[in-house]
Amino acid sequence: MARSTNDEKQPGFIRRIWNAFWSPSGVLSLGFLIIAGFLAGILFWGGFHWALEETNNEEFCISCHTMSKNFDEYTETVHYNNHSGVRATCPDCHVPHEWQHKVKAKIMASKDLFHEIIGTIDTDEKYEEHRLHMASLVWEKMKKSDSRECRNCHAFEYMDFTIQETRAAKDHQLAIDEGKTCIDCHQGIAHGLPAGYLEEYRSIIEALESGEGVELQKSSLLDMGPATEALKSFLNGKTE
Amino acid sequence: MLNMLDILGTIAGNVLSLPGILGLALGMMTRNLLVAAILGGLVGVAEPFIFAGFDASKVETIDLVIAIAVGVVAGCIGRAIRVKGATV
Ligand code: HEC
Ligand code: HEC
Ligand code: HEC
Ligand code: HEC
Repeated sequence: MARSTNDEKQPGFIRRIWNAFWSPSGVLSLGFLIIAGFLAGILFWGGFHWALEETNNEEFCISCHTMSKNFDEYTETVHYNNHSGVRATCPDCHVPHEWQHKVKAKIMASKDLFHEIIGTIDTDEKYEEHRLHMASLVWEKMKKSDSRECRNCHAFEYMDFTIQETRAAKDHQLAIDEGKTCIDCHQGIAHGLPAGYLEEYRSIIEALESGEGVELQKSSLLDMGPATEALKSFLNGKTE
Repeated sequence: MLNMLDILGTIAGNVLSLPGILGLALGMMTRNLLVAAILGGLVGVAEPFIFAGFDASKVETIDLVIAIAVGVVAGCIGRAIRVKGATV
């Protein structure tokens, strides 16, 4: 670039940073940069993991008052209070352990924040009205993953059918034979169930089995007229 | 024997935790040996408290001493890297 003159425009601020970033460093050796990058990587990853785990415990979940209704119901069940004192907390059932699935679940959960702000379920009435919709989201996930989160703690393989009550042993044998999964029979294991839950569950299973997209029960609160219809037909078209 | 392993484990835990990693990183930010040692040592003081949930009664002296020692050493190594690997 020979035609550089004195009054040539100075590159902008961002441009200068960009250029500096991609130029070889005159003052730092390669070894220094590699060690510094390595340490920065460890610190970043450790901090990221720590922050993620901070959002993976019961206190965090119920820090939103909308979740405390579920918490109250759950405290009445065996997974909160039982003879051995072993507990399953919210993330145990709702957040996968495997990294890939966990990150996906965490990102999907960012919509919770949005709904918390606009107050989708901020009263008991709204909650009950919305419950079937939310429960069906959970059922669909569990059915698709063969109740993976339950199986982190429970497994048919290690159940002693001889000491289970007859009905349980019989149904579990049946479940193994017919390839059923925990959530097929154990809906409402930790929370109250809304009216009409069985029909809704069945329609989810049928939709999944026929290979079509699941058309979730319409939530009256999220119905915004034509826009919702357009979005729904788009989404359903996508999943087919 | 067990005591030996206990101490070795504590040292390793500190090297791979804040005093080792952050101490080294902070040490690399200065050419002054004293500053590097103090920065590393401060991380060493902070770490046992953080992991004891800021409850001083749960911090064992031996843990604190090891954490500070590892922090100081890491800070000094960081400073050595700076002196050897950079001209500023
Ligand atoms: C920011 C407040 C907030 C926090 C924190 C929060 N939730 Fe929620 N959650 C909500 C709201 C609001 C909804 C309703 C979302 C909707 O209408 O789709 C919801 C919905 C749900 C649902 C229904 C199913 C679904 O996918 O929508 C489940 C399950 C759930 N939350 C579990 C959890 C768990 C487990 C945690 C802790 C890891 C948690 N929540 C933390 C506010 C929160
Ligand atoms: C963190 C581990 C854990 C997870 C995850 C978990 N459970 Fe459990 N579950 C337990 C423990 C522990 C008990 C037994 C409590 C006791 O009786 O001591 C139990 C008990 C049960 C019972 C017996 C209820 C009764 O009345 O005796 C059922 C049914 C059950 N779990 C189903 C499920 C289902 C379905 C899921 C998935 C949605 C699930 N569990 C997820 C740990 C877990
Ligand atoms: C075909 C339906 C069916 C399926 C599928 C099923 N269960 Fe059950 N299960 C039952 C029935 C019925 C009972 C007895 C009534 C009850 O305790 O709810 C029972 C009881 C239990 C109990 C308590 C047993 C006892 O005697 O203490 C546990 C734990 C349990 N189920 C876990 C699971 C897990 C985990 C899965 C998935 C791996 C699963 N079940 C799948 C029907 C089923
Ligand atoms: C033992 C497993 C288990 C635990 C523990 C658990 N859940 Fe659930 N959760 C479920 C299942 C299964 C569903 C699906 C609906 C159903 O069958 O009741 C569900 C549904 C929900 C829903 C959808 C709305 C509804 O009521 O159905 C929300 C919100 C929710 N859970 C939040 C929580 C929070 C918050 C906690 C912790 C306080 C928690 N869950 C603990 C298994 C669990």
